[in-house]
Amino acid sequence: MEYLLEPFGYEYMVNAMFVSALIGVVCAFLSAFLMLRGWSLIADALSHATVPGVAIAYMAGLPFSIGAFVSGGFAAVSILFIKRRSLLKEDVAIGLIFTTFFALGLFLLSLSPSTVDLQRILMGNILAIAPWDALQMVIISIATLLFLTIYWKDLLLVFFDEQQAWMAGISPIKLQILFFACLSAMTLAAMQTVGALLVIAVVVTPGATAYLLSDKFSHIIIISICIGLFSSLLGTYLSYFIDGVTGAIIVCLQTLCFLVAFIFAPKQGLFSHIKRRKEALRSHYA
Amino acid sequence: MLDTLMLPFQFSFMNKAFIIVTLTSIPMAILSCYIVLKGWSLMGDAIAHAVLPGIVIAHLLAIPLAVGAFIAGLCCALTTGYIKENCRIREDTVMGIVFSGMFAVGIILFHQANSELHLTHVLLGDVLGISVSSVIETGMISVFVLLILLIRGRDLMLLIFDPQQAQVLGINVRFWHYGIQVLLALSIVAALQAVGMILSISLLITPGACALLVSKRFGDMVVVSLCVAISCSLLGVYTSFYLDSTPAATIVLLMAVVFCGIFCHKIYADRQAVKNQQEKTLDILSASPQNSATDRDLEKLPLSP
Repeated sequence: MEYLLEPFGYEYMVNAMFVSALIGVVCAFLSAFLMLRGWSLIADALSHATVPGVAIAYMAGLPFSIGAFVSGGFAAVSILFIKRRSLLKEDVAIGLIFTTFFALGLFLLSLSPSTVDLQRILMGNILAIAPWDALQMVIISIATLLFLTIYWKDLLLVFFDEQQAWMAGISPIKLQILFFACLSAMTLAAMQTVGALLVIAVVVTPGATAYLLSDKFSHIIIISICIGLFSSLLGTYLSYFIDGVTGAIIVCLQTLCFLVAFIFAPKQGLFSHIKRRKEALRSHYA
Repeated sequence: MLDTLMLPFQFSFMNKAFIIVTLTSIPMAILSCYIVLKGWSLMGDAIAHAVLPGIVIAHLLAIPLAVGAFIAGLCCALTTGYIKENCRIREDTVMGIVFSGMFAVGIILFHQANSELHLTHVLLGDVLGISVSSVIETGMISVFVLLILLIRGRDLMLLIFDPQQAQVLGINVRFWHYGIQVLLALSIVAALQAVGMILSISLLITPGACALLVSKRFGDMVVVSLCVAISCSLLGVYTSFYLDSTPAATIVLLMAVVFCGIFCHKIYADRQAVKNQQEKTLDILSASPQNSATDRDLEKLPLSP
């Protein structure tokens, strides 16, 4: 019993659990919206595209959130520009830009290898987060959480039916821009907990899992937040014992949740699918 | 002066690097044409990430890394297909979930194994430290993929442009849907040891995107794509020798520069074409006497082609 409570005795563990739970909750909230629109690739692209910004910011000694924000924004603008001005499909434009930005980041890092810890950008390290960085993450997460709780109904309307949103007096463009700003801020925060390579998981998996379990959007949000909260808490807690990479454990737990939901979900699960198919066959032959 | 320029060719590791980037870029450049047309960019990304657990497990069991990587890539493709067919979540979301989950498992195993494998080698490859046996291995896989593309390439093209017609003609659509993923997995595995994950994702997208901007026929597209991929790969390795940078990242950046060049040229050409069109219409209107255009008519002229 004492052994199990050991992590709570260390201040850095408690802090890490608090910060990663907060980030996990907000990312899960966002994931419910991303899943609606099928924007999983965009989150992946944003997280990779911030790497050159982080590299330059570290080299220049600036706060890394500024660098990441600028390069993320630049990537988003170039994706939109390529898509509007050519026949290329959206996924091609996204893939092209994010590999280029990521390569640029690695190129810069390879020119001056000693200044930045590449492993930290790619894998994240919430257990060794500096207090100042942790404070930045908490402020970003709380601001995003506030925005989402106030505007979630408006956002839902915008994502489902843009014209209806216009009629209801909501400006879809303004909300979408705000949403994207929140998304890129949260990718940045998630890079601290799970690292650039796994950000896509925390902003996609909880929402998709919740979508298998419920049909009502407010329930989807609640389920998704619960998954984000518990997987982050448990993942950080377990990483103390396994001595493993915190981010990877969190993502593994979320994927496990998804697989369980995929197999056993009451309405959308694999078992109920098979059962329904069998019943249909039986009634067909009866 | 000439001596400095020829310097890279005097080292055997540089020569091996030139050979291996050419070998990997040829099948990938051809595959990228199919991927860009079909909109499957995420697929290359997913398979490239999903091979990580395979590599680590193969390393632990001391079997060839390529075998483990290939099996893991195949697992990712099959799982994605199975989950997508049995629930209501979109394919790209399922792919994101599966590959990130597999990648996370790979990282945990990697960390626990504490092996002499380096994560940066998996990400960026090790072009300059490649051994002769891996050059041969990569060459064999590349030739195999190329052969299949040469024999069944036309079927694949039909599959991409018109799946229904392909089915009517008796091509097994389901089989080739997975067939393309197997080819992708094979070429990524071949590329992984040499050039790493990032470059293989980029090689599967950028050459095809460049080629689509300039060509209207599939045959031309493949040729352009091959030219871009091979020339950028060779030049990238060559420049990285002087810059002392990572070869894989340098190649990706060079391809991006080529894309930017083609893209800007295309925007300029489009603008020029619109202008010419307007002038031509104006000429015709002012030349024909019975159709004397007034200023008000001119204002109604279409401004876009």
